[in-house]
Amino acid sequence: MRKKGIQTNDPHIQALARIVGGEKSILYKKEDLIAYDCDGFTVHRHLPKAVVFPKNTEEVAAIVKYCHEHDLPFLARGAGTGLSGGAIPLNGEVIISLVRMKRLISVDLENRRAVVEPGFVNLKLTNSISDRGYYYAPDPSSQYCCTIGGNVAENAGGAHCLKYGVTTNHILGLEVVLPNGEIIEIGKNGIPDPPGYDLIGLLTGSEGTLGIVTKITVRILKNPEAKQTVLAYFDRVEDASQAVSDIISEGMVPAALEMMDQTAIEGVEAAAFPVGHPKDIEALLLIEVDGISAGISEQIEEILRICRNRNVREVKVAQTEEERARWWANRKTGFGAMGAISPDYLVQDGVIPRSKLPEVLKNIQQISKKYGLRIANIFHAGDGNLHPLVLFDASKPGETEKALAAGSECLQACAAVGGSITGEHGVGIEKKEEMRFIFSDEEIAAQIDIRDVFNPKNLLNAGKLFPTPGRCVEVKREKKQRQSL
Amino acid sequence: MLSLEWKDELTAILSEKQVQIEEHGSHPLGNSGHVTVYPQSEEEISNILRYANTHGKRVCIVGGGTKRGFGGQLECADILLSLANYSGIVEHAAADMTVTVKSGTVFQQLQDYLAEYRQKVALDPVWPQYATIGGVISANDSGPKRLGYGSARDSVIGLRIVYPDGTVIRSGGKVVKNVAGYDMNKLFIGAMGTLGVISEITLKLRPLPKYESLVLLSFPSGNLEEVRSFAVQFLDSMMEPVCFELLSPSLSERLIGQRAYTLAIGFEDVESAVHYQEEFVKRLQPPNTTIRILPQEEAKSFWQTFYTIGPNGAAPDPLGQEIEAAVKIGVVNLDVLHIVRESDLLQESCHVHIEAHGGLGHGLCQVYIKGESESVATAIERLRTAASGLGGYAVVKHLPFSLRKRIDVWGENPSYFFLLDGIKRKIDPNRILNNQRFIGGI
Repeated sequence: MRKKGIQTNDPHIQALARIVGGEKSILYKKEDLIAYDCDGFTVHRHLPKAVVFPKNTEEVAAIVKYCHEHDLPFLARGAGTGLSGGAIPLNGEVIISLVRMKRLISVDLENRRAVVEPGFVNLKLTNSISDRGYYYAPDPSSQYCCTIGGNVAENAGGAHCLKYGVTTNHILGLEVVLPNGEIIEIGKNGIPDPPGYDLIGLLTGSEGTLGIVTKITVRILKNPEAKQTVLAYFDRVEDASQAVSDIISEGMVPAALEMMDQTAIEGVEAAAFPVGHPKDIEALLLIEVDGISAGISEQIEEILRICRNRNVREVKVAQTEEERARWWANRKTGFGAMGAISPDYLVQDGVIPRSKLPEVLKNIQQISKKYGLRIANIFHAGDGNLHPLVLFDASKPGETEKALAAGSECLQACAAVGGSITGEHGVGIEKKEEMRFIFSDEEIAAQIDIRDVFNPKNLLNAGKLFPTPGRCVEVKREKKQRQSL
Repeated sequence: MLSLEWKDELTAILSEKQVQIEEHGSHPLGNSGHVTVYPQSEEEISNILRYANTHGKRVCIVGGGTKRGFGGQLECADILLSLANYSGIVEHAAADMTVTVKSGTVFQQLQDYLAEYRQKVALDPVWPQYATIGGVISANDSGPKRLGYGSARDSVIGLRIVYPDGTVIRSGGKVVKNVAGYDMNKLFIGAMGTLGVISEITLKLRPLPKYESLVLLSFPSGNLEEVRSFAVQFLDSMMEPVCFELLSPSLSERLIGQRAYTLAIGFEDVESAVHYQEEFVKRLQPPNTTIRILPQEEAKSFWQTFYTIGPNGAAPDPLGQEIEAAVKIGVVNLDVLHIVRESDLLQESCHVHIEAHGGLGHGLCQVYIKGESESVATAIERLRTAASGLGGYAVVKHLPFSLRKRIDVWGENPSYFFLLDGIKRKIDPNRILNNQRFIGGI
């Protein structure tokens, strides 16, 4: 039988338990903490000091204040689906889990906005308003379980952000607990352009290092009147890439333009949602066009023509909603599907100017050969966001390290053509060092300067986002500024 | 008066003809400088800032000068840094639909260049013939089509910024999707040049629409309930207008010769989809309203006039006793109805002429006021009261310098002002850049 009450002498645990109202809202025993030693990025693991489950903003503020006063490192966590390690307690943090703050506070369809708590699950928002024909646009693949608070922290994207943008384009207001426990509200009533620097834009995507978001006002959209989805199979990956470029340069903005290569297709066909894609093609495109019904068929005809011009083997339009849903389930579960053909896999998240697609894909093939590891490619081709999936077997000595190195090299290939090291997964722990591929020491120091304004003690989610020795540069910079006084 | 030594020091950085001593530093809109400098390269910008930072000189930044009346408590800074000669396209990746441009490039010139590739920057700022892209981004200017295309924060994907100490910092990148590090772009958009001089801007582009039209739906009865009820019904439909803007009767009269509340509903899509949506409006048309549809070129010409209805800081009207003001008001979307109505009513009660418009799908209004300065001041205060009564805000985007001493351009400081000030202090500790141009004297 479980004994009641807090069974530890640790005064911090006792104090935190008091803030959240007792032992039901805190975990502190090792066996309970193990589940929180990592998030969707499983390469690094570290135990937190405790996990607390506040029910409201005031409790979050009280926890943060306590941690701030007692110099306890802390971080916020949503559903833990992040892929770059942003919620891993590297420094034995107190984890503030926001899963109990999961209310949909209000919906105002006339003014197209909704207010949610951070633990509210992404897809639930769309489900709550779909009967009236509305939806929330950002749709990361994990949307059935990831939280909107986490989406804000990571500036999450999704398959449909080609046309509709990523999370930051849909956030109108935030209530934030600052790292000293103070509560602020930015973007009152969800009104755009509040006077002052754009702190909403800065906080979104700051990976939980500037504050903890406790309330979010989001923009909601009306469903498009019509939607059509095309599936196209290509014998050559170059032809598929060219088709992508042609569609964009034709002046179309599809809602989604997704691509999978041969290895990825092998994975999704072996997993839970096979569609029957041929296994001997080099690439497939999944293209969705939405908007006013009167204009859709014209665009679909154009897309079919472009695909045929680019030697498509087979191209088809989804005939039913069920068929469309099947194609999407196959795509959206693509990462996990790699589990069917490999014991482990590592997801990368590079971005390139989309015209460089053929070149970068070739480089990734070279990297795959060099390391002797298969790399599957699933990506948002329309916006040049690649997800190379490095397949490996962690039980083989040295293979994890090899996979990490191969992943990093893929990012280098993206950076080399003027791209970025992450399009939607965030830097976290995973890509800290890779920040150097795209930013100078001074640019990294400039970002750390901003963190220091919000998080001067660096107790909140420390050790993320920035390469470790960035600090020295910052000191140098400060000195330089002082000298110039 | 300035010593020649001053000029000597600057000409050590720039050539003689890039430095101009201003005989009378003052300007009715303020924000001028004792010396105007015209850098032609990023390095020159950097050298000027380094010079100013080391010598404690205040710098005011200007592009086309259209926003000269926007904020600022200093009539005359030491140096007016003009980006007028720092213009041009750095790189246009047509296939990637991105462009990198120098900040002093005139907005319309950029659009004209892109139009040859059937592309555009999806922003619709005022005075595009004069305003520079740097100024548009720094002031975060947006127009009615923000509803369909978003604002500067949705279009800017990368910046090169010259910090006050002369360091060049890049934010974002050249790709349309990017979450590496903090989204530093956002800090400089709408920062009124108080954090750095934007040197280059990378924007994501949109294709030019294949077809466009503008539906003008006028409500001569003056009953805003009718407007509201139509708006709610229309906005609940699946139509995709790029703008849904309410014009005050005075503005409507000036633009289309009809003194009535008018909704300007814009469509940009393939031709069949545009016509389909026009038909949809007609089907929903309330009784006692009139409809006019401006296709293609007519719509374009409407917009051309539209973007020049407000005051232009680069060419202030010689109004004699009268002055001009522009106020941006943010409220919850449908509350735009109240603001536009309030603007209309204030004409009589304050003895001013007011033209106003606001987007019922995004909540931002622009109110242009003309009259004697006391009356204009009263009208601004009343508008601000109305906005805050609705939980919104009012920012005065254009006002003569003399009145800016009295009327707070930015309104009350937010509770988190210390963060804004903290950012300013980190980046510009000596407060050399556009000092006192922004909220709370930042």
